[in-house]
Amino acid sequence: MKTNTESIRTAVSGTGALVWTFDRPESAANIFDEATLLELREKLNGVDRYAHGLVFMSAKPAIFIAGADIKALESLRGDALQRFIELGQEVFNAIAALEMPTVAAIHGACMGGGCELALACRRRIATPDRVTKIGLPETQLGILPAWGGSTRLPRLIGVPKALDIILGGKTLGAKSALRKGMIDDIAPKELLLEAAEEWIGAHGREPVKGRRTTFDRVETAIAKPIARRQMMEKSRGHYPALEKALEVVTRGALASVEESLILEREAVLELAATPECRNLIGVFQLTERAKKLRVPDAETHKAATISRVAVIGAGVMGAAIAQWLSARGLRVLMRDIDADRVEAGMNRIAGLYANAVKGRIMSATEARDGMDRVSPVVGETPLEMVDMVIEAAVEKMELKKDIFARLDAVAPGRALLATNTSALSITELAAGLNMPARVAGIHFFNPVHRMPLVEVISGERTSGEATATALRFAQKIGKMPVLVRDSPGFLVNRILLPYMVEAGELFANGASIEEVDAAMLDFGMPMGPLRLIDEVGLDVAEDVAATLAAAFPGHMHVPEVLGRMKRAGLLGKKSGSGFYTHGKRKAAPNPGAAAHRNPGAAPTLDRTTMQRRMALLMINEAARCLEENVVGAPEDVDFGMIMGAGFAPFRGGPLRYADTLGAAAIVEGLRMEEERSGAHFAPCALLLEMTKNERRFYANR
Amino acid sequence: MPDPLVIIDGIRTPFCKLGSDLARLAADELGRVAVDALLTRTGFDPGLVDEVIFGCVCQPVDAPNVARVIALRAGLPEHSTAATVHRNCASGFEAITTAAERVASGHGTVFIVGGTESMSQVPLLFPPEAAKKFAALGRARGLGAKLGALGAFRPEDFKPRIALKMGLTDPVSGLNMGETAEVVAREFGIGREAQDVFALESHRRATAARSRLAEEICPVYVTGGKAGKAGHAVTADHGPRGDETIEMLERLKPVFDRNHGSVTAGNSSQITDGAVALLVMAESRAAQLGLNPIGRLRAWAYTGCDPKRMGLGPVSAIRKLEELSGVGPREADLIEINEAFAAQVLAVTQCLGNVPMERLNVNGGAIALGHPVGATGARLTLTALKELGRRGGQRAIVSACVGGGQGSALLLEYLQP
Repeated sequence: MKTNTESIRTAVSGTGALVWTFDRPESAANIFDEATLLELREKLNGVDRYAHGLVFMSAKPAIFIAGADIKALESLRGDALQRFIELGQEVFNAIAALEMPTVAAIHGACMGGGCELALACRRRIATPDRVTKIGLPETQLGILPAWGGSTRLPRLIGVPKALDIILGGKTLGAKSALRKGMIDDIAPKELLLEAAEEWIGAHGREPVKGRRTTFDRVETAIAKPIARRQMMEKSRGHYPALEKALEVVTRGALASVEESLILEREAVLELAATPECRNLIGVFQLTERAKKLRVPDAETHKAATISRVAVIGAGVMGAAIAQWLSARGLRVLMRDIDADRVEAGMNRIAGLYANAVKGRIMSATEARDGMDRVSPVVGETPLEMVDMVIEAAVEKMELKKDIFARLDAVAPGRALLATNTSALSITELAAGLNMPARVAGIHFFNPVHRMPLVEVISGERTSGEATATALRFAQKIGKMPVLVRDSPGFLVNRILLPYMVEAGELFANGASIEEVDAAMLDFGMPMGPLRLIDEVGLDVAEDVAATLAAAFPGHMHVPEVLGRMKRAGLLGKKSGSGFYTHGKRKAAPNPGAAAHRNPGAAPTLDRTTMQRRMALLMINEAARCLEENVVGAPEDVDFGMIMGAGFAPFRGGPLRYADTLGAAAIVEGLRMEEERSGAHFAPCALLLEMTKNERRFYANR
Repeated sequence: MPDPLVIIDGIRTPFCKLGSDLARLAADELGRVAVDALLTRTGFDPGLVDEVIFGCVCQPVDAPNVARVIALRAGLPEHSTAATVHRNCASGFEAITTAAERVASGHGTVFIVGGTESMSQVPLLFPPEAAKKFAALGRARGLGAKLGALGAFRPEDFKPRIALKMGLTDPVSGLNMGETAEVVAREFGIGREAQDVFALESHRRATAARSRLAEEICPVYVTGGKAGKAGHAVTADHGPRGDETIEMLERLKPVFDRNHGSVTAGNSSQITDGAVALLVMAESRAAQLGLNPIGRLRAWAYTGCDPKRMGLGPVSAIRKLEELSGVGPREADLIEINEAFAAQVLAVTQCLGNVPMERLNVNGGAIALGHPVGATGARLTLTALKELGRRGGQRAIVSACVGGGQGSALLLEYLQP
């Protein structure tokens, strides 16, 4: 008996319409790989041209068609890739050319190639459910929609809106998609097919309305420079896909469909060969890896389900964590000994929800429901009903130890005791408790609602179950986890610190604030290091530097300039000024900071050198983290730095970037700086070993 | 009673005068806060609650069956049920006694009961004639028809009817609550001075009891509102005035009978927003769950009386309660008679003749604390039980007069938790 390897089931409905349902065998998703495209082409070749109409649907519960096969994009090159692109264009052209009315009946994720199929259809109907998402995210992977999306979308909704969606890689829900004109109608899931058939019956034979080309020309002429400026501001020229997509969409809109499709093809072939594309696809795969991440021995270590969490500490992080968890459906008990802090915390949560509603991330009702799930408490309260505790109180070991000693006694045995500490040792926190095995670190990044990374930290005595529970919990609440061994600074702060310290020293020795930060913005960091210090707070930065300097005296130190500025009241954003002045207007470099430079300081290093020094320090520290097994694999280092520090994603992460330089070049660079500036630039043992054995961080690619 | 109702614990929001700190919170929000605080402080599993029964007189129009809205918003599971009850000023009692009846009839063993009221949010209504004209305007199609429909409006159509005023007026007797207080004041010869002295004492006692009453109160976090101002926590009752003097009370003019009356705003209960929630269950269930209740509902009585003299309701109710239980005011360690009006409480004590005044409303009453009508009965129950615990007392009688002509009384027994 031949097993069914077909991905598309064909049927005829009661009204005589053809219904083709995508249902990839042994997969939760529908994707367009070569086999599926060939299958679709074959079916289209043999289609009954006198049929009433053709409806495309999906049998998957949450996915219409998720896009092209990422593996194909990754591995195909040159002619093979060209053929793959041409095949997709050919098939969707064939759909667009059908005389009979075609409808895409969309429920679930309709992204990339799936969206392009829908655009080739005459009509698009989608369900209003949360799982229904429509978009063209190709630019986020370093390419662009090349199966007709860059051609058909502008012709459907106009160049400005199409640019917004394609360059932004935006994902729209049904209501937004309808508003923008990407889809034509919304129907509930149970009535989706019926709605498609009704339209075919009533309007299927009407001619398709086109757009006037003169209007397009004017629109395009206006849209292009605006889009270019916005794009350059955000990407600083690091993302060739954005530039290319802008070109293709604007030129293609004024050319014929055939010409536009050729432009798409040429562009995608060019982009697929770029390292940016390779790295961005790599980041996408790291994200997928993080979503499926499990602890080693996952079978023996069962993760517990968490539905009620107690957050101890209603400060900035406590409140932000409480809001995030409550927005994701968990009931949160937010507790603090200080009534004023609880009040401030509730204000903070209300503000976060209000912003989310304003930013159309959620409806007012969803915000109210989220707010309802937060129970504020001043003082202590029974914890029987709580599945997990997250401690987010002040960063003082003695205070935290007291809190944990109390929790050890009163928290129900099944409850995981987690701490959000960014600097203190999990192992030490757990020492002396009756149940140390259930203590772990779950380290959120600030601001919680924007930073996707969570460091899941295992202390020496943290059990497999506790780690598994913390990991699953992080995934369940929509964060990206990385498993980290308890070590000072964990992963992200450890790597960032020497980089930030160097920035401080460069300034102290005479470099201008703009130059130091510009050096790293050019590199692709989302924010300059001095600006980052301002955001974090100079006092906090100094504390963290001190902690790490104590732990790693060989190569970490506390820059004196921070202490000087701190004592002068320049704490950064929280005090209104630091390296920058922060007010109602955009932050500007603070001329008052110059007074705190080292005596006799004068600028000596150019931007390129400064950039190299800071990048090398990050790589060196990242290598140390791998060497010391702070994390298990180079993927974890890169993923953590991209998601937790915004490290230039198009570079793939510090270790992926290091491989492009090669260990030898890195060691040479570090040695040069070591001679110039001191032992803290000395290359770590791993880098020396890798140079000797000509090894790379990543074995393949 | 074979399996009486026991009270495990209770909590209430601060009680705040109409138009003040809690004015922007609807009754379902107030109730949700109380229920959430109750569940948090007791650590009780909401999955074990069979039903939520709440008293509410002015139900928000957008939260019909406010008990259900409260239940779901407070995180009770969908499979639990909810009902809103209404016996005017005794709605808070009604919630409790209904739970007892459910237990007795085998319809559940664990309940969250209480009451909620936002008197600030009672709406202004368009007169029915105006409502008809609005409907006609809505139906009109075309400019001509619309203009015609607009032309039908008259100035009096835009004069709002104050639903709060309407709600506080008994349609059968035609008297509002204050007017019924004037009736009993006259008939029992309770003068202005006596009423003001009583009112002052209520304030004095409530003020002295501030820290004790704090034990039964949970904070309410009021969010910022449109001005973008930060929100704040409301933590204390708004009503009691430590600085109230007899002179201040004497200066007030009678509100319900301007020429010959004696009932003023100062010697009447305040119009107030607030909510109360109690965790109650069958005694056997409490034992099964290993819980130690703070009190037991021994008996209760509702009686009917003349709507024009609704203030006397507690007289018949307390007498009936004594008949049923053998416990009267002399045997009770504490007595609460809701202070709808000073005149009315004094008339009741005069009629009964056996109320020891030093055991009556010991921590102040509605004149100082306020009377959110749907919630009051639950507050009286909670406060009496807490005070019995403090004094080592055993029994309390809590009662209220009921607009429309009823009386209500409950007999509570204290249990060492």
